[in-house]
Amino acid sequence: MQAETAVLLVCAGAALAFTVAFNPLPISRRALLLKGGTGLAASAAIAAVPSFDLALLILLTVGVLHAAIDGRRAFAVRLRAPVVAVATLAVALVFAHAQGPDVLQRFAAVGLVSGLAAAVGLLPYLHSLDPEEPMTSSPIPWIAFVGPVLAAVVVARAQQMLAPDAGGVFGGMLIGLGLLNIAWGSIAAWLTESEVAAWRYSFVADWGLVLCGFGLTLADGGRAALLIMFSIVVVRLPLYVASRQALRDKAVAQRPINFVVAGALAGSAPFVGFVARILLLRAATQLYWPLALALALGMLLWLPGSLRLGRSLAVPRGRQAIGVGLVLAVSVAAGLYPLPILLAARL
Amino acid sequence: MVAGVAAFVSWLGASLVVLGDGRRALALGVLLATAGMTVIAWQTAGPLAAAAIAGGGAVAAARRFSSGADGWRIMPPGSTPRLVLCIAGGLIVLWIAAAVTTGPGASLRFTVMVVAGFSGARVLASDNASVLLTATSLLALVVALAGAFADGSGLWTYLAAALIAAGVGWLPQRTARAG
Repeated sequence: MQAETAVLLVCAGAALAFTVAFNPLPISRRALLLKGGTGLAASAAIAAVPSFDLALLILLTVGVLHAAIDGRRAFAVRLRAPVVAVATLAVALVFAHAQGPDVLQRFAAVGLVSGLAAAVGLLPYLHSLDPEEPMTSSPIPWIAFVGPVLAAVVVARAQQMLAPDAGGVFGGMLIGLGLLNIAWGSIAAWLTESEVAAWRYSFVADWGLVLCGFGLTLADGGRAALLIMFSIVVVRLPLYVASRQALRDKAVAQRPINFVVAGALAGSAPFVGFVARILLLRAATQLYWPLALALALGMLLWLPGSLRLGRSLAVPRGRQAIGVGLVLAVSVAAGLYPLPILLAARL
Repeated sequence: MVAGVAAFVSWLGASLVVLGDGRRALALGVLLATAGMTVIAWQTAGPLAAAAIAGGGAVAAARRFSSGADGWRIMPPGSTPRLVLCIAGGLIVLWIAAAVTTGPGASLRFTVMVVAGFSGARVLASDNASVLLTATSLLALVVALAGAFADGSGLWTYLAAALIAAGVGWLPQRTARAG
């Protein structure tokens, strides 16, 4: 198992523990632990298996199980994305290893990027969302819980499978798709009607940064991608969990804590998102400075959406307040001193 | 020659899954595709891998034969796009597997691309749980075959694929239609 995926698995375990301990909704903690534990075990298996085909089979199994649990969306709707992802990745595997013209490797790169986007639920394969659906059967576990480990595995496998030329194409597509997700996700998080949809689009926007980080293929790009995935799993997902009761009650507030949460979600200093953004901009500047300019402009789009999401948390009280405080403390600690995370991931 | 026939039988089975809505058509489709994939698995990974594919596919076909919409229901009204997919998709994949790509294993390449592609397309175009699970079973089996191209885990991949293919058909229809 790669060190990077091991770090992400630990983060996913911490997010699961947070969800079980601080979930404000009156739901069965045992059921939550069972479903989350299954997702965590599957993520660990995807990261640990020695071959890509076995990882695809585990992904397919998780997709079928997730589609089969009780939820508001139809079974077919929930099954489509993981099946399309596995089919696309399987065909990409054929193209990556087939003998023939160089264009085959480029098709493999297209398949790998498409499969990754379909599995995680990014543009152009956004999973459908029902704002009233329980979190466990919604697309959130794909984009915030299983997705980071899966993305790390797919990108690592792609780097092994693809020739250098196709690797450049792979990186270029990741950056292009990343910019698209940044723009779409951050604007939609700001302007969409539903607060739950706004949270989902904020995950999409964060994933845009992750894709750009992976695509930059420089050390700082990989570090930025890891820190943003850390932020998705350890900061954004727990804050979304903490806001579920307020989202259900349609309560909003504009207290200082809401602005602090908005700052954490927007990636402002001293939170972990800020370090990740600095690393990403540094890598982009090394590679092609207009890309850094585009990224910097895109990062500004986080502000209005994050202010909205911060308000949607309402005023956390009791156990919820402890949970929010804990998340903010972890984000500040990782933002001020990210080195242990990067060293653990060997980046 | 044998591999070529097996690849054709796989295409025929996958096409039947695309074109049929009834349990008999789906079961026969799985059976045919499994037969083709079994021969190819035998040639690429040996008899144990072939036995795993055959076992998983047979259980999936038997399960489908006993549950789902009655009858055959092959090419119900409005199936023209599916027919076009089967013929045009098959020809394009044949061209890629036999002409664009080179080297040995054209039948394997054709089978993986056609079964994976048709399974994905079927899932995108149907809302029926029995159809979706049938396509998922086929996809699981063909992913194991795809492992032959890369760093496949040998027999484990085939066993896992067989378990998944056999198991998904037993998912309760109640949850499969949740919504």
